[in-house]
Amino acid sequence: MKVVEINEVEKTYHDTEVEVRAVNGVTLSFEKGDFAVIVGPSGSGKTTLLNLIGGLDQPTAGEIIVAGHRLSELKPSELIDFRMEHVGFVFQSYNLIPVLTAAENVGFIMSLQKWPKEKRMARTGELLEAVGLADRHNSRPSQLSGGQQQRVAVARALAPRPEFILADEPTANLDSKSAETLLDIMEKLNREEEMTFIFSTHDVRVMKRARRVITLEDGKVVSDERTNHTV
Amino acid sequence: MITSIAWKNVWRNRTRSLTVITAVMVGVFASVFALAAINSSIVQRIDSAVNEELSHIQVNTKEFRSSSDIQNTIADPEGVAGTLRNTPGVTDVTGRIIVRGIASAPSGSSGVEITGIDIEKEKQMFTLSGKLIPGTGNYFGADTKLNSAFIGEKLARELQIIRYILTAESFKALGDNGVPSAVTDKLKPLEGRRFTTEKKLTEAYNSLLTPREIKKYGLSIREAAWSYREGSRVILSFLDVNGNQTGGAFRISGIYRTNNDLFESMSVFVPDKELRRLTGLEEGVYHRFIARLEDNDLTDMVTPVLREALPGLEVMNWKEIQVDLAMIADYINQIYAVFMALILAALSFGIVNTMLMAVLERTRELGMLSAVGMNRRRIFLMIMLESIFLSMVGGFAGMAVSGVAIAITNHSGINLVKYSEGMEAFGYTAHLYPTIGADFFIILTVLIVITGILSSVYPARKALQLNPVEALRGE
Repeated sequence: MKVVEINEVEKTYHDTEVEVRAVNGVTLSFEKGDFAVIVGPSGSGKTTLLNLIGGLDQPTAGEIIVAGHRLSELKPSELIDFRMEHVGFVFQSYNLIPVLTAAENVGFIMSLQKWPKEKRMARTGELLEAVGLADRHNSRPSQLSGGQQQRVAVARALAPRPEFILADEPTANLDSKSAETLLDIMEKLNREEEMTFIFSTHDVRVMKRARRVITLEDGKVVSDERTNHTV
Repeated sequence: MITSIAWKNVWRNRTRSLTVITAVMVGVFASVFALAAINSSIVQRIDSAVNEELSHIQVNTKEFRSSSDIQNTIADPEGVAGTLRNTPGVTDVTGRIIVRGIASAPSGSSGVEITGIDIEKEKQMFTLSGKLIPGTGNYFGADTKLNSAFIGEKLARELQIIRYILTAESFKALGDNGVPSAVTDKLKPLEGRRFTTEKKLTEAYNSLLTPREIKKYGLSIREAAWSYREGSRVILSFLDVNGNQTGGAFRISGIYRTNNDLFESMSVFVPDKELRRLTGLEEGVYHRFIARLEDNDLTDMVTPVLREALPGLEVMNWKEIQVDLAMIADYINQIYAVFMALILAALSFGIVNTMLMAVLERTRELGMLSAVGMNRRRIFLMIMLESIFLSMVGGFAGMAVSGVAIAITNHSGINLVKYSEGMEAFGYTAHLYPTIGADFFIILTVLIVITGILSSVYPARKALQLNPVEALRGE
């Protein structure tokens, strides 16, 4: 089942006098349960493509359909609701809310969605256990290591059961051990919850785990390969 | 959750938040306390006006107030008194006869208004008897003769019935009050000398003491030298009903001290029987009826009722007689609210600055919140709540501190005796007992919330202008 369909998408920036075509005629689709990485050198358009898929940015041309929604037809306020309902985000620098505990961070999007408290707490407990932080419910982000913070971020993204997770360079700030642990967890969640993960990365460790590697250069897809890596 | 995050965000940068909270607290405290002090003066002034000078309602002929002609008596006094007594809300009624005249003593004279009163009734209706200066008489006590007068301290000074003498007793009193012997020794040359005015005494001791000693002990010296000539008499002269000059010598049965110099210098009270005898006014004839009400709040309601019931007479309540005071009394909370709004408007700039810094340093976090689905309304609400919390913590702290300060000073009082001359000339007391109504704190709470909301608008708009993609990339 297709979760994301991208048809002839272009994104052009006019930041300076020079026109920059960050994404140039990309056509792709992602299936439910994909564990895909988008790779490419800096400036190849990875993050821009991720932002377009996540509804953070609108394409200049082409269309993106996520869970039946044509993103170009959504108003800015509808895009915010769309992101809350359908997309989980994991950022390079964790971006947890510093004044909330790990459990509160995980429960944050669920509370925006007005989940009942009991249900929210049960899901939070379940996810913190899944990411190996069952004993850190009440820890603030400042009391957690980088790896632990990123695991909380994954749990937060996963909590409201989105259609897919977009992870922009999730291991970039982590040491090897933390990165491996995080990837183990994501693979496990991909397997157990059938959650679709779409990464952008430079990290070879992530590429090695991926079952699909999409390579971008100058905003264009130059290769889209299925690997024989199995979870 | 939004409320909880907003509250926690307030304490992210404690130093910065506490700085603005302290600024709001100090601003609110200083303003509320200053208003409470001013208010005490006004409350006491209204209290004096109603309970010592005017009562709630006065009834006289339409010409009496402007002409004060002795012939301007009320035509049907019994009927008027009956109407007043039977009007709902009226608790007490008394009649007065009033003549204009001159009070004279060997050392001076002064124009006065002489009021003939029913002593027992006036004692029930007014608190002026409680303003008697100890040692000056007994306010028409049991042994008082009919030709007695109750006069104000200001008039007594003008007539030099009160003067200043540093006697051996005065020096003892100074020693008892902690004035050092070095100072009393310097004052020895003044012992036994009579000063007719406070000013002359002040000039005399100023030449003997250092500025520091004058500042520290001046009041004690003036109090110790204050002297009342016992058994003093005052000659009151006025016209009788036939227009002939008449009058008599009246023994002082007491000197009262209020906060109103004009009232003190003008108002002389004598038993109405004696005034009737001297003026030839018949028993039961009155120039004015005075009515007291159950509650001051009934004043505006009862006045038109009486005006309708007594069409040929002038019915005026204390607010109409003392228009300036009434205006202050009626609009006091609005005046205070405007004052507080101005103070809070000044403080809001500090809150705006703090909130703006808080927003600008959280660009990426706000970008993330927008990215994960926190809509514009919720982001606006979060920033607004942070601003409201900042103002309310500071505001409530300021209200609490001012509440405590008001409670303490309301009990102990604030002595502004240094400025008493100026304040009492306008009828205001120099001893302040700060007080302010609970309703003012409700208005203040609303104003503080409004300040928080208004202070959040600009920082919140800044937060909403952030593009999540740029904000996330921004740091």
